[in-house]
Amino acid sequence: MQQKFLQCTGLALTVIYGAFIVWVYATEPRTFKEVATSAEVAAGTYQIDQERFNNALALFRREQFRAARDEWQRADPAQGDARTQFYIAYSFYREGWGRVFYNQDLFKQGLESINRALTLVSNGQLSVDDPNLQMHSAAELKTELEQGTERNWGDINPLKVLRTRK
Amino acid sequence: MLPLCFLTVALLGGLRVSADNHAFIFIAPPLITLVLAVLLMVLFVRGHLIEFPRWLTNTNPPLTNVSHVWMLLTLFFASAQAFNSVLPERGLLHWLFSVFFLWTLWNNQFSSFDARRLLRSLVVLFGTAFILKHLLLASLYRPEGGWLKRVAGALLQGVSLGTLDTPTFAPATGYISFFTLTLYVTGLILLIFAPENETREKSHPLVQRYLELSPADRLTVRETILADQPESDRLEGSNLY
Repeated sequence: MQQKFLQCTGLALTVIYGAFIVWVYATEPRTFKEVATSAEVAAGTYQIDQERFNNALALFRREQFRAARDEWQRADPAQGDARTQFYIAYSFYREGWGRVFYNQDLFKQGLESINRALTLVSNGQLSVDDPNLQMHSAAELKTELEQGTERNWGDINPLKVLRTRK
Repeated sequence: MLPLCFLTVALLGGLRVSADNHAFIFIAPPLITLVLAVLLMVLFVRGHLIEFPRWLTNTNPPLTNVSHVWMLLTLFFASAQAFNSVLPERGLLHWLFSVFFLWTLWNNQFSSFDARRLLRSLVVLFGTAFILKHLLLASLYRPEGGWLKRVAGALLQGVSLGTLDTPTFAPATGYISFFTLTLYVTGLILLIFAPENETREKSHPLVQRYLELSPADRLTVRETILADQPESDRLEGSNLY
Protein backbone atom coordinates (compact mmCIF):
# COMPACT_ATOMS: atom_id res chain seq x y z
CA MET A 1 0.00 0.00 0.00
CA GLN A 2 2.81 2.37 0.96
CA GLN A 3 4.70 1.48 -2.22
CA LYS A 4 1.59 2.26 -4.27
CA PHE A 5 1.23 5.61 -2.52
CA LEU A 6 4.88 6.43 -3.20
CA GLN A 7 4.50 5.41 -6.84
CA CYS A 8 1.40 7.63 -7.25
CA THR A 9 3.07 10.60 -5.55
CA GLY A 10 6.22 10.24 -7.65
CA LEU A 11 4.19 10.01 -10.84
CA ALA A 12 2.10 13.06 -9.94
CA LEU A 13 5.16 15.12 -9.04
CA THR A 14 6.99 14.29 -12.25
CA VAL A 15 3.87 15.04 -14.31
CA ILE A 16 3.69 18.48 -12.64
CA TYR A 17 7.39 18.97 -13.34
CA GLY A 18 6.81 17.98 -16.98
CA ALA A 19 3.96 20.50 -17.25
CA PHE A 20 6.27 23.17 -15.80
CA ILE A 21 8.87 22.42 -18.49
CA VAL A 22 6.25 22.70 -21.25
CA TRP A 23 5.10 26.00 -19.73
CA VAL A 24 8.70 27.32 -19.58
CA TYR A 25 9.25 26.53 -23.27
CA ALA A 26 5.88 28.07 -24.19
CA THR A 27 6.44 31.35 -22.31
CA GLU A 28 10.23 31.58 -22.89
CA PRO A 29 11.16 33.68 -19.85
CA ARG A 30 14.48 35.50 -20.23
CA THR A 31 15.44 35.85 -16.57
CA PHE A 32 14.58 34.25 -13.23
CA LYS A 33 12.55 37.39 -12.47
CA GLU A 34 10.49 36.82 -15.59
CA VAL A 35 9.95 33.21 -14.53
CA ALA A 36 8.49 34.51 -11.25
CA THR A 37 6.37 37.14 -13.05
CA SER A 38 5.02 34.59 -15.54
CA ALA A 39 4.21 32.25 -12.65
CA GLU A 40 2.26 35.08 -10.99
CA VAL A 41 0.34 35.69 -14.23
CA ALA A 42 -0.44 31.98 -14.53
CA ALA A 43 -1.56 31.84 -10.90
CA GLY A 44 -3.72 34.96 -11.32
CA THR A 45 -1.89 36.91 -8.60
CA TYR A 46 -0.05 39.28 -10.94
CA GLN A 47 -0.29 43.00 -10.17
CA ILE A 48 1.36 45.95 -11.86
CA ASP A 49 3.63 48.39 -10.04
CA GLN A 50 1.08 51.14 -9.31
CA GLU A 51 3.68 53.74 -8.37
CA ARG A 52 5.49 53.36 -11.68
CA PHE A 53 2.14 53.43 -13.47
CA ASN A 54 1.27 56.79 -11.89
CA ASN A 55 4.72 58.19 -12.72
CA ALA A 56 4.22 57.12 -16.33
CA LEU A 57 0.79 58.76 -16.42
CA ALA A 58 2.29 62.03 -15.21
CA LEU A 59 4.95 61.82 -17.94
CA PHE A 60 2.27 61.03 -20.53
CA ARG A 61 0.30 64.12 -19.54
CA ARG A 62 3.45 66.20 -19.94
CA GLU A 63 3.74 64.71 -23.47
CA GLN A 64 6.94 62.83 -22.66
CA PHE A 65 5.70 59.76 -24.45
CA ARG A 66 8.88 57.71 -24.72
CA ALA A 67 9.70 58.11 -21.03
CA ALA A 68 6.08 57.28 -20.18
CA ARG A 69 6.19 54.11 -22.27
CA ASP A 70 9.44 53.06 -20.66
CA GLU A 71 7.94 53.52 -17.22
CA TRP A 72 4.74 51.65 -18.16
CA GLN A 73 6.78 48.76 -19.50
CA ARG A 74 8.58 48.57 -16.17
CA ALA A 75 5.27 48.77 -14.33
CA ASP A 76 3.86 45.89 -16.39
CA PRO A 77 6.84 43.64 -17.30
CA ALA A 78 4.63 40.66 -18.14
CA GLN A 79 2.46 42.78 -20.47
CA GLY A 80 -0.50 41.31 -18.65
CA ASP A 81 -2.49 44.41 -17.69
CA ALA A 82 -4.99 45.60 -20.29
CA ARG A 83 -5.22 49.18 -18.95
CA THR A 84 -1.44 49.69 -19.08
CA GLN A 85 -1.27 48.27 -22.60
CA PHE A 86 -4.07 50.66 -23.60
CA TYR A 87 -2.06 53.63 -22.34
CA ILE A 88 1.07 52.40 -24.11
CA ALA A 89 -0.91 52.19 -27.35
CA TYR A 90 -2.27 55.66 -26.72
CA SER A 91 1.23 57.05 -26.23
CA PHE A 92 2.28 55.50 -29.55
CA TYR A 93 -0.73 57.17 -31.17
CA ARG A 94 -0.03 60.60 -29.71
CA GLU A 95 3.67 60.48 -30.51
CA GLY A 96 3.10 59.15 -34.03
CA TRP A 97 0.34 61.59 -34.89
CA GLY A 98 1.31 64.39 -37.26
CA ARG A 99 -0.66 67.11 -38.98
CA VAL A 100 0.79 66.22 -42.39
CA PHE A 101 1.60 62.49 -41.96
CA TYR A 102 1.58 59.75 -39.36
CA ASN A 103 4.66 57.88 -38.20
CA GLN A 104 3.93 54.41 -39.52
CA ASP A 105 6.37 52.58 -37.24
CA LEU A 106 4.89 54.09 -34.09
CA PHE A 107 1.35 53.45 -35.27
CA LYS A 108 2.17 49.81 -35.97
CA GLN A 109 3.65 49.40 -32.51
CA GLY A 110 0.55 51.08 -31.09
CA LEU A 111 -1.61 48.60 -32.97
CA GLU A 112 0.34 45.71 -31.47
CA SER A 113 -0.16 47.12 -27.98
CA ILE A 114 -3.88 47.70 -28.39
CA ASN A 115 -4.34 44.21 -29.84
CA ARG A 116 -2.49 42.84 -26.80
CA ALA A 117 -4.77 44.86 -24.52
CA LEU A 118 -7.85 43.47 -26.25
CA THR A 119 -6.67 39.88 -25.87
CA LEU A 120 -6.25 40.47 -22.13
CA VAL A 121 -9.92 41.36 -21.55
CA SER A 122 -12.34 38.47 -21.48
CA ASN A 123 -15.25 40.09 -23.38
CA GLY A 124 -13.08 41.90 -25.95
CA GLN A 125 -14.25 45.32 -24.73
CA LEU A 126 -12.03 47.72 -22.86
CA SER A 127 -12.94 51.17 -21.65
CA VAL A 128 -10.73 53.60 -19.70
CA ASP A 129 -12.33 56.46 -17.81
CA ASP A 130 -9.75 59.19 -18.09
CA PRO A 131 -11.01 62.75 -18.70
CA ASN A 132 -7.67 63.70 -20.26
CA LEU A 133 -8.19 61.28 -23.13
CA GLN A 134 -10.49 61.85 -26.06
CA MET A 135 -10.78 58.18 -26.94
CA HIS A 136 -11.92 56.01 -24.06
CA SER A 137 -12.54 52.64 -25.68
CA ALA A 138 -9.92 50.29 -27.07
CA ALA A 139 -12.01 49.73 -30.20
CA GLU A 140 -11.96 53.47 -30.95
CA LEU A 141 -8.21 53.71 -30.49
CA LYS A 142 -7.65 50.61 -32.59
CA THR A 143 -9.71 52.04 -35.45
CA GLU A 144 -7.75 55.29 -35.30
CA LEU A 145 -4.43 53.43 -35.39
CA GLU A 146 -5.59 51.17 -38.24
CA GLN A 147 -6.73 54.15 -40.29
CA GLY A 148 -3.35 55.76 -39.69
CA THR A 149 -1.50 52.78 -41.14
CA GLU A 150 -3.68 52.56 -44.26
CA ARG A 151 -2.83 54.40 -47.47
CA ASN A 152 -5.59 55.94 -49.60
CA TRP A 153 -6.37 58.91 -51.85
CA GLY A 154 -7.66 60.85 -48.84
CA ASP A 155 -4.06 61.20 -47.69
CA ILE A 156 -3.41 63.88 -50.33
CA ASN A 157 -6.40 65.97 -49.28
CA PRO A 158 -4.94 69.37 -48.21
CA LEU A 159 -7.78 69.85 -45.71
CA LYS A 160 -6.23 67.06 -43.63
CA VAL A 161 -3.93 69.61 -42.02
CA LEU A 162 -6.98 70.94 -40.17
CA ARG A 163 -7.58 67.67 -38.33
CA THR A 164 -6.93 67.48 -34.60
CA ARG A 165 -5.19 64.95 -32.43
CA LYS A 166 -7.42 63.01 -30.09
CA MET B 1 13.92 9.18 -9.75
CA LEU B 2 14.66 8.38 -13.41
CA PRO B 3 11.79 10.43 -14.91
CA LEU B 4 12.94 13.36 -12.76
CA CYS B 5 16.46 13.00 -14.11
CA PHE B 6 15.26 12.73 -17.74
CA LEU B 7 12.86 15.67 -17.33
CA THR B 8 15.72 17.84 -16.06
CA VAL B 9 17.64 16.89 -19.19
CA ALA B 10 14.57 17.88 -21.23
CA LEU B 11 14.49 21.25 -19.45
CA LEU B 12 18.18 22.09 -19.78
CA GLY B 13 18.82 20.60 -23.24
CA GLY B 14 17.30 23.57 -25.03
CA LEU B 15 18.61 26.25 -22.68
CA ARG B 16 21.19 28.74 -23.95
CA VAL B 17 22.50 31.89 -22.29
CA SER B 18 22.76 35.01 -24.44
CA ALA B 19 26.27 36.44 -24.81
CA ASP B 20 24.95 40.03 -24.88
CA ASN B 21 22.75 40.35 -21.80
CA HIS B 22 23.03 36.88 -20.21
CA ALA B 23 19.30 36.32 -20.76
CA PHE B 24 17.87 32.80 -21.06
CA ILE B 25 17.05 31.55 -24.54
CA PHE B 26 14.87 28.43 -24.72
CA ILE B 27 15.20 26.57 -28.01
CA ALA B 28 12.46 24.01 -28.58
CA PRO B 29 13.71 20.71 -30.05
CA PRO B 30 13.91 20.92 -33.86
CA LEU B 31 12.12 18.23 -35.87
CA ILE B 32 15.38 16.46 -36.71
CA THR B 33 16.11 15.85 -33.00
CA LEU B 34 12.77 14.06 -32.67
CA VAL B 35 13.72 11.80 -35.60
CA LEU B 36 17.11 11.14 -33.98
CA ALA B 37 15.40 10.39 -30.66
CA VAL B 38 13.14 7.83 -32.37
CA LEU B 39 16.19 6.10 -33.88
CA LEU B 40 17.87 6.13 -30.47
CA MET B 41 14.80 4.62 -28.81
CA VAL B 42 14.87 1.80 -31.38
CA LEU B 43 18.54 1.27 -30.47
CA PHE B 44 17.62 1.16 -26.78
CA VAL B 45 15.10 -1.59 -27.55
CA ARG B 46 17.65 -3.51 -29.63
CA GLY B 47 20.29 -3.11 -26.91
CA HIS B 48 17.82 -4.42 -24.27
CA LEU B 49 18.00 -1.16 -22.35
CA ILE B 50 14.24 -0.95 -22.81
CA GLU B 51 12.31 -4.20 -22.71
CA PHE B 52 8.79 -3.64 -23.94
CA PRO B 53 7.55 -7.19 -23.25
CA ARG B 54 8.44 -6.84 -19.58
CA TRP B 55 7.77 -3.12 -19.13
CA LEU B 56 4.34 -3.10 -20.68
CA THR B 57 2.47 -6.29 -20.04
CA ASN B 58 -0.94 -7.26 -18.74
CA THR B 59 0.73 -9.12 -15.86
CA ASN B 60 1.97 -5.79 -14.42
CA PRO B 61 -0.38 -3.69 -12.28
CA PRO B 62 -1.89 -0.76 -14.25
CA LEU B 63 0.03 1.81 -12.22
CA THR B 64 3.33 0.12 -13.04
CA ASN B 65 2.46 0.15 -16.74
CA VAL B 66 1.56 3.86 -16.53
CA SER B 67 4.87 4.56 -14.75
CA HIS B 68 6.77 2.70 -17.45
CA VAL B 69 4.98 4.57 -20.25
CA TRP B 70 5.75 7.86 -18.49
CA MET B 71 9.41 6.90 -18.17
CA LEU B 72 9.56 6.00 -21.87
CA LEU B 73 8.09 9.41 -22.72
CA THR B 74 10.57 11.27 -20.53
CA LEU B 75 13.43 9.20 -21.97
CA PHE B 76 12.29 10.10 -25.50
CA PHE B 77 12.17 13.84 -24.80
CA ALA B 78 15.43 13.72 -22.85
CA SER B 79 17.08 12.05 -25.86
CA ALA B 80 15.68 14.70 -28.20
CA GLN B 81 16.92 17.49 -25.93
CA ALA B 82 20.34 15.85 -25.50
CA PHE B 83 20.71 16.05 -29.28
CA ASN B 84 19.36 19.61 -29.22
CA SER B 85 22.04 20.51 -26.69
CA VAL B 86 24.94 19.50 -28.95
CA LEU B 87 23.47 20.52 -32.33
CA PRO B 88 24.48 23.93 -33.72
CA GLU B 89 21.37 26.12 -33.83
CA ARG B 90 21.35 27.01 -37.54
CA GLY B 91 23.29 27.09 -40.77
CA LEU B 92 25.23 24.44 -42.61
CA LEU B 93 26.80 23.12 -39.40
CA HIS B 94 23.36 22.28 -38.02
CA TRP B 95 22.73 20.03 -41.02
CA LEU B 96 26.26 18.59 -41.01
CA PHE B 97 25.90 17.56 -37.38
CA SER B 98 22.40 16.21 -38.03
CA VAL B 99 23.63 14.06 -40.91
CA PHE B 100 26.55 12.86 -38.76
CA PHE B 101 24.13 11.76 -36.02
CA LEU B 102 21.66 10.29 -38.48
CA TRP B 103 24.36 8.28 -40.24
CA THR B 104 25.83 6.95 -36.99
CA LEU B 105 22.47 5.96 -35.54
CA TRP B 106 21.33 4.39 -38.80
CA ASN B 107 24.52 2.29 -39.03
CA ASN B 108 24.10 1.23 -35.42
CA GLN B 109 20.67 -0.16 -36.23
CA PHE B 110 22.41 -3.00 -38.06
CA SER B 111 25.09 -3.74 -35.45
CA SER B 112 24.75 -6.17 -32.58
CA PHE B 113 24.50 -4.33 -29.28
CA ASP B 114 24.11 -4.99 -25.63
CA ALA B 115 23.17 -2.26 -23.17
CA ARG B 116 26.72 -1.53 -21.99
CA ARG B 117 28.23 -1.36 -25.46
CA LEU B 118 25.40 0.90 -26.54
CA LEU B 119 26.06 3.21 -23.61
CA ARG B 120 29.79 3.40 -24.40
CA SER B 121 28.96 4.20 -28.02
CA LEU B 122 26.55 6.97 -26.95
CA VAL B 123 29.08 8.53 -24.59
CA VAL B 124 31.57 8.73 -27.48
CA LEU B 125 28.90 10.12 -29.84
CA PHE B 126 27.68 12.86 -27.52
CA GLY B 127 31.20 13.58 -26.25
CA THR B 128 32.50 14.16 -29.78
CA ALA B 129 29.59 16.44 -30.66
CA PHE B 130 30.02 18.36 -27.39
CA ILE B 131 33.72 18.95 -28.00
CA LEU B 132 33.07 20.04 -31.59
CA LYS B 133 30.26 22.45 -30.73
CA HIS B 134 31.08 23.85 -27.30
CA LEU B 135 34.86 23.83 -27.44
CA LEU B 136 36.01 24.04 -31.05
CA LEU B 137 33.26 26.07 -32.75
CA ALA B 138 32.52 28.25 -29.71
CA SER B 139 36.19 29.15 -29.49
CA LEU B 140 36.37 29.99 -33.22
CA TYR B 141 33.33 32.27 -33.16
CA ARG B 142 34.01 33.90 -29.77
CA PRO B 143 34.21 37.70 -30.34
CA GLU B 144 36.78 38.29 -27.58
CA GLY B 145 39.15 35.60 -28.91
CA GLY B 146 42.70 36.33 -30.09
CA TRP B 147 43.47 37.58 -33.60
CA LEU B 148 44.47 34.10 -34.79
CA LYS B 149 41.10 32.70 -33.75
CA ARG B 150 39.26 35.58 -35.37
CA VAL B 151 41.21 35.15 -38.61
CA ALA B 152 40.47 31.39 -38.61
CA GLY B 153 36.79 32.12 -37.95
CA ALA B 154 36.64 34.73 -40.72
CA LEU B 155 38.41 32.37 -43.14
CA LEU B 156 36.00 29.57 -42.31
CA GLN B 157 33.08 31.95 -42.89
CA GLY B 158 34.57 33.15 -46.19
CA VAL B 159 35.30 29.67 -47.54
CA SER B 160 31.79 28.50 -46.70
CA LEU B 161 30.20 31.70 -48.15
CA GLY B 162 28.62 32.51 -44.78
CA THR B 163 26.72 29.24 -44.50
CA LEU B 164 28.65 28.28 -41.35
CA ASP B 165 27.18 31.24 -39.50
CA THR B 166 26.28 30.15 -36.00
CA PRO B 167 25.05 32.22 -33.03
CA THR B 168 27.45 32.86 -30.18
CA PHE B 169 26.35 32.23 -26.61
CA ALA B 170 27.79 32.96 -23.18
CA PRO B 171 30.29 30.39 -21.84
CA ALA B 172 27.63 29.31 -19.32
CA THR B 173 25.87 27.54 -22.22
CA GLY B 174 28.75 25.06 -22.49
CA TYR B 175 28.61 24.32 -18.77
CA ILE B 176 24.83 23.79 -18.92
CA SER B 177 25.25 21.45 -21.89
CA PHE B 178 27.98 19.48 -20.09
CA PHE B 179 25.78 19.10 -17.02
CA THR B 180 22.82 18.07 -19.21
CA LEU B 181 24.77 15.38 -21.03
CA THR B 182 26.29 14.08 -17.79
CA LEU B 183 22.82 13.85 -16.29
CA TYR B 184 21.51 12.08 -19.38
CA VAL B 185 24.31 9.49 -19.34
CA THR B 186 23.85 9.04 -15.58
CA GLY B 187 20.16 8.39 -16.20
CA LEU B 188 21.01 5.75 -18.80
CA ILE B 189 23.54 4.12 -16.44
CA LEU B 190 20.89 4.01 -13.72
CA LEU B 191 18.53 2.45 -16.24
CA ILE B 192 21.05 -0.31 -17.02
CA PHE B 193 21.77 -1.02 -13.37
CA ALA B 194 18.14 -0.87 -12.29
CA PRO B 195 17.35 -3.89 -10.06
CA GLU B 196 14.99 -5.36 -12.67
CA ASN B 197 17.61 -5.25 -15.42
CA GLU B 198 20.33 -6.58 -13.11
CA THR B 199 18.47 -9.80 -12.32
CA ARG B 200 17.56 -10.02 -15.96
CA GLU B 201 21.19 -9.86 -17.08
CA LYS B 202 22.39 -12.44 -14.61
CA SER B 203 19.69 -15.00 -15.39
CA HIS B 204 20.07 -17.74 -17.98
CA PRO B 205 18.73 -16.93 -21.50
CA LEU B 206 16.27 -19.79 -21.18
CA VAL B 207 14.93 -18.31 -17.94
CA GLN B 208 14.74 -14.92 -19.61
CA ARG B 209 12.54 -16.36 -22.37
CA TYR B 210 10.42 -18.08 -19.76
CA LEU B 211 9.90 -14.82 -17.86
CA GLU B 212 8.66 -13.13 -21.03
CA LEU B 213 5.74 -15.59 -21.27
CA SER B 214 2.25 -14.93 -20.00
CA PRO B 215 1.15 -16.74 -16.77
CA ALA B 216 -0.94 -19.24 -18.79
CA ASP B 217 2.02 -20.08 -21.06
CA ARG B 218 4.31 -20.40 -18.04
CA LEU B 219 1.91 -22.94 -16.54
CA THR B 220 1.87 -24.92 -19.79
CA VAL B 221 5.69 -24.94 -19.86
CA ARG B 222 5.87 -26.13 -16.26
CA GLU B 223 3.35 -28.89 -16.91
CA THR B 224 5.20 -30.03 -20.04
CA ILE B 225 8.53 -30.16 -18.18
CA LEU B 226 6.95 -32.13 -15.34
CA ALA B 227 5.27 -34.50 -17.76
CA ASP B 228 8.69 -35.26 -19.35
CA GLN B 229 10.29 -36.10 -16.01
CA PRO B 230 10.25 -39.50 -14.19
CA GLU B 231 7.78 -39.84 -11.28
CA SER B 232 10.43 -39.44 -8.53
CA ASP B 233 11.86 -36.21 -10.08
CA ARG B 234 8.36 -34.87 -10.62
CA LEU B 235 7.55 -35.17 -6.92
CA GLU B 236 10.75 -33.32 -6.00
CA GLY B 237 10.17 -30.69 -8.71
CA SER B 238 6.62 -30.00 -7.62
CA ASN B 239 7.97 -28.85 -4.25
CA LEU B 240 9.78 -26.04 -6.06
CA TYR B 241 6.52 -24.46 -7.15
